[in-house]
Amino acid sequence: MTAVHTTDAAVPTNSSAPRRAAKGGAPRRRGSAFDRLLPYLLLAPALIAILWLVGWPVLSLLVTSFRKLNLKELTRGEVVWVGLDNYAGILGDPTFWAIAVRTVVFTAVVVGASVLAGLLIALLMRQINPVVRVVLQVAMLLAWAMPLLAATTVYQWIFDQQYGILNKTLVKLGFDGFAGYGWFSTGTSTMAVIGLLIVWQAIPFLAFSLYAGAIGIPRDQYEAAAIDGATAWQTFRSVTWPELRPLLLMLTFLSMLWDFKVFAQIWAFKKGGPDGGSTTLPVYQYLEGISKSHFGVAAAVSVVMMALLALLTFQYLRRLIKQEGAL
Amino acid sequence: MIAKKVSVNVVGVLLALLFAFPTYWMVSSALKPTKDMLSTGYDLVPFSVTTTNFANAWAKPGFLSSLGNSLFVSLTAVLAAIVVGLLAAVAMSRMRFRGRKSFVMLMLVAQMAPFEALLIPMFLMMRDLDLLDRLPSLALIYFAVTLPFCAWTLRGFVNGIPLELEEAAMVDGCGRWGAFRRVTLPLLGPGLVATSVFAFVTAWNEFLYALSLMKDQTKETLPVWLSGFQTNFGTDWGGAMAASALFTLPVLVFFLIVQRKMVSGVTAGAVKG
Repeated sequence: MTAVHTTDAAVPTNSSAPRRAAKGGAPRRRGSAFDRLLPYLLLAPALIAILWLVGWPVLSLLVTSFRKLNLKELTRGEVVWVGLDNYAGILGDPTFWAIAVRTVVFTAVVVGASVLAGLLIALLMRQINPVVRVVLQVAMLLAWAMPLLAATTVYQWIFDQQYGILNKTLVKLGFDGFAGYGWFSTGTSTMAVIGLLIVWQAIPFLAFSLYAGAIGIPRDQYEAAAIDGATAWQTFRSVTWPELRPLLLMLTFLSMLWDFKVFAQIWAFKKGGPDGGSTTLPVYQYLEGISKSHFGVAAAVSVVMMALLALLTFQYLRRLIKQEGAL
Repeated sequence: MIAKKVSVNVVGVLLALLFAFPTYWMVSSALKPTKDMLSTGYDLVPFSVTTTNFANAWAKPGFLSSLGNSLFVSLTAVLAAIVVGLLAAVAMSRMRFRGRKSFVMLMLVAQMAPFEALLIPMFLMMRDLDLLDRLPSLALIYFAVTLPFCAWTLRGFVNGIPLELEEAAMVDGCGRWGAFRRVTLPLLGPGLVATSVFAFVTAWNEFLYALSLMKDQTKETLPVWLSGFQTNFGTDWGGAMAASALFTLPVLVFFLIVQRKMVSGVTAGAVKG
């Protein structure tokens, strides 16, 4: 029930069935007005919802970022335009730059670590005994399924200064310096624990996806490589890597998109502390906007976030749209 | 060769332990009496077992109400997103019409939209609608967050059902609606379940909006309530672990049921080449 079986795991990307079905379209009888109207009726609810709850907020975000909108203006309903002042304010603030750099570095490290570990585990899964594989898959499923806030709470308990099992274990292993060690006393080590938590929860999905991709690679390619006397590394480079590259690329982009926006875990650990040492852009946006009611400034922060994300994922989105355009 | 085989398997087992440990630790801590939790003794396996932590967590002020709030917003949002998403998916996958391509692209882009960055305008909008501190605002936002994903994923599942089946049903005298209801919908069952579980987990986990829009404590959702466990529980780690376990249980059950479908669901739409 829980195992990823070899047969059905192929990622649908590689199947041509959806493409054919989409191209086939519906039987095109030149029907009644109702028939011609039907697709629009079916789409209308989704379209309205997206325009109202995604399109409008995006516009409103841009507009708000050019306004001075604090609690005073909000309650009085005043509209004060300040042009680019909000942007000038945050871009001229060294704290903001420190936070932006921290966010980008954090995202890069977390994405790199989780994709690499996911790939290694996916390749490992092909080598191990089926029983061990199922055990590993169930274990990863447990990590994957745990709700973010439950996982955060458990990590806080594991890393607890006084009674946490980690410090107890380290002391038992002879590292006496860890007796009562405070893992959340500096920003860097707080970020490290948060990063570990995120990587731990991200690996299962990545490993399952890559494993599904890896077992889709035809056996005879490996046999041919073996006959040619290729080493393990050569086989990986010339057979596995080219086949997995598109999937790896997609997973990397998706991970960037997900890990850049992380808020819940950071907030639940230390609310961006100690001393702002674990504050990232999403946390900063929350602090400025919701805690301090500086909505204009926070909107400018959000716009910068969006721009950064767009920059990071632009290439991927372009390829996706190109591919969809072919449908 | 044998040495290599053994060592790979040993690594596999060690990794499994690493991934399973936090879950094990959550459950075993939840079962420990408080005096064993706050002791300096070393106990990877509980010395004695009790269920008082679960009773405590269950009875904590706010637990049941936040559980109810979480269930309400998540289920409402997912139900709406699945229905609206399925309508759109059928249109995108089965019908030809002007503007189809732009709509597919809109869904794709909406699916990638970073909702976290829309916090400020959403907050202002919900304030204007007088929905702050009211659960429907969260249900509405979770609906919007999960809708593009549902529509996009369901489109993939509908694409996977051969059109010929529907056509055969129509030849046999079914109307268009009859063919859809008797042929496509049953075949779509597993896809619908997998998609709704994934959407449900997204809503179940959501934190930023729940924290920002619900300042009234009686309107808190479970993640926000749990994040305040230090005020709720103090140093009662056993209670916190029990609450976490109760929070995890429904998700875990769902995951075990549909896990296989989910990998393919999320990666549908991958770029080839």
